[in-house]
Amino acid sequence: MRLLEFAAIALRNLRGYALRSLLTTLGVVFGIASVVTMMALGRGAEEQILRQIDKLGITNVIVNSVKPPEDKSANAQRSWVLSYGLKFADRDQIVETVPGIDAVLPVHSYTERAWEGSSKGDVIVHGVTPEYFAATKTHVAKGRTLTEADERERRPVAVVHQQLLRSLGHYGDPIGYELLVGEQLYEVVGVLADEEFQGLMRKALKDPEHGENEVYVPYGTVLARIGTRSFSRRSGQFEATDIELNQMVVQVGRQGDVLPVAHMVRTLLERFHENRDYELVVPLELLAQRREYQRVFNIALLLIAAISLLVGGIGIANIMLATVTERTREIGIRRAIGAKRVHIMTQFLLETVLIAFAGGVLGIGTGWVGTQLMAGYTKWEAHFTPEVALSALVVACGVGILSGLFPAWRASHLDPIQALRHE
Amino acid sequence: MAHPHTARSRTALIEAHDLRRWYGEADARVEVLRGVSLVVERGEYAAIVGASGSGKSTLLSILGCLDRPSAGSYSLAGEDVLALRDDRLSELRLREIGFVFQSFQLIPQLSVAENVEVPLFYAGVARGERRRRALAALERVGLSHRVHHLPTQLSGGEQQRSAIARALVHDPPLLLADEPTGNLDSETGRRILELIDAIHAEGRTVVLITHDRSVAEHAPRRIRIKDGTIESDERRGAAA
Ligand SMILES: Nc1ncnc2c1ncn2[C@@H]1O[C@H](COP(=O)(O)OP(=O)(O)OP(=O)(O)O)[C@@H](O)[C@H]1O
Ligand SMILES: [Mg+2]
Repeated sequence: MRLLEFAAIALRNLRGYALRSLLTTLGVVFGIASVVTMMALGRGAEEQILRQIDKLGITNVIVNSVKPPEDKSANAQRSWVLSYGLKFADRDQIVETVPGIDAVLPVHSYTERAWEGSSKGDVIVHGVTPEYFAATKTHVAKGRTLTEADERERRPVAVVHQQLLRSLGHYGDPIGYELLVGEQLYEVVGVLADEEFQGLMRKALKDPEHGENEVYVPYGTVLARIGTRSFSRRSGQFEATDIELNQMVVQVGRQGDVLPVAHMVRTLLERFHENRDYELVVPLELLAQRREYQRVFNIALLLIAAISLLVGGIGIANIMLATVTERTREIGIRRAIGAKRVHIMTQFLLETVLIAFAGGVLGIGTGWVGTQLMAGYTKWEAHFTPEVALSALVVACGVGILSGLFPAWRASHLDPIQALRHE
Repeated sequence: MAHPHTARSRTALIEAHDLRRWYGEADARVEVLRGVSLVVERGEYAAIVGASGSGKSTLLSILGCLDRPSAGSYSLAGEDVLALRDDRLSELRLREIGFVFQSFQLIPQLSVAENVEVPLFYAGVARGERRRRALAALERVGLSHRVHHLPTQLSGGEQQRSAIARALVHDPPLLLADEPTGNLDSETGRRILELIDAIHAEGRTVVLITHDRSVAEHAPRRIRIKDGTIESDERRGAAA
């Protein structure tokens, strides 16, 4: 059959009722638009989170020190130094008793004020071992990361974000710059790549407010020069804290051992830290959680898509039924002068498919614009791929066929002689 | 030049036996045709006459394979019409019949030329050929100057002629026309009759319904219907 000629007739009929056809497509337009938007944003979010989880290192178990909830009974006899968090002893315990571990990387952090002439800014100084950079996939854009020699000799060197130096008012070559933090002078040897350090998961790792103010220095240097105590001004008050380890990165040898190791570390810490002054971040668990969320999201998406397209499809079917009634006489004439049922069927089906297809195309366009707006506004990632568009088109055509089946069947089964008599 | 249809003339094209058509069931049953038997040879020219409501249009619809009789048998061009599946019936209509409806039945959205093309479209004729043949058919009925008009922009007579052009465009051996001169002034009616004569002269079989005495007397055969049965059936010049 000459589908193109039938399509031309269908197009002409639709143009004959231009406004009605346009309104009929709207259901499909919004259905498809919401589907592609959600698909694009869903995929984007998934990618982003997977990347972040991957950055945490799928074979790592990360333990952070956290300030314990205030205890009223302890409040009365509180010493002026607040002491909590992971101890050196915890690290030794883990290294000695938990099997399957490659290394436990210590991190000691403190907050201070950095100076450049009269300009100043709060920074968070992380004392880390050289392996830390590889373990957390932290890369330098310029210079180098910290080395064994830095660590061994407790050199006063630092890896920083370029942004930090700029905010202090230093615009020259960052490498070799002498950074004054509190009373300590550090020589900048490396500049971190401007990555998404504001990423969700890094919040789980570090102080979220200090994203770009992080300064990495050798672990040994911090312990030797500062010790475990740190002082900070919070809302005008001095606060002194004593935290031996702010973070431990437990590196597991095989991925299969990650969950057992996490379990053992958890049990071990529970025994020595009744006040819950630590938290465990297990990227592998986050990944599993994330997958589960995604599954639920996908099901919800499918449901919403199905419902909105069902509504769109019913709209098309409804209008087509009205059209069939309106054009009963024309159908009768065509049947009387030689059209077969299949010709009538094809003609009406093509009309609904064209409506749905146009709705699909418009919906993809609307969805694309919507996705860009949403992504631009929320800074979410969006993956508007050709597959998203293509699958939306296929679905739209499917809706067209399904919604057209009954009206087309009705049209093709009209009795010619009665149809001819129809007013 | 001998027309292909003349070669097979004098064989039965229409053979109907005891056709009955009723509407409704049981007590509400209205019998419109009450046993009509009719044979029309190829190349014949017959006029059906009778009072309004006597069942003429009903009979013509059955002969045109548009309606099915409630009882009886009917064969057209040797095919047992009542045994055919729906799409074979469509093919038969397309191949054998040109139908001119009592109320023209032009498709309002289509231009005159497009209306005339419709049978060719379903016959699978290519676009260019379709247009060429439609224009030829319209020229024949004297409507060359109206091909791009919509049916609503035509006079009654012009619509009638468009309908005749559409009935002829696919070159069917049988022309069925339901009051082709109804609602027309006598001059236009006469021209349409001449056209039908010419169509008949080509060897086509013509069956038409008319209320017009002069039209009926013009036809070689007259079939009078009364209350759903054939009251008389006479051939002019034929010795009874
Ligand atoms: N679908 C139908 N249901 C019930 N009765 C019908 C139906 N179609 C036709 N009839 C009846 O059949 C009878 C014959 O109708 P038909 O159209 O054949 O008459 P006709 O001889 O062509 O009349 P006219 O000369 O006025 O055109 C009419 O009385 C009509 O009411
Ligand atoms: Mg009639």
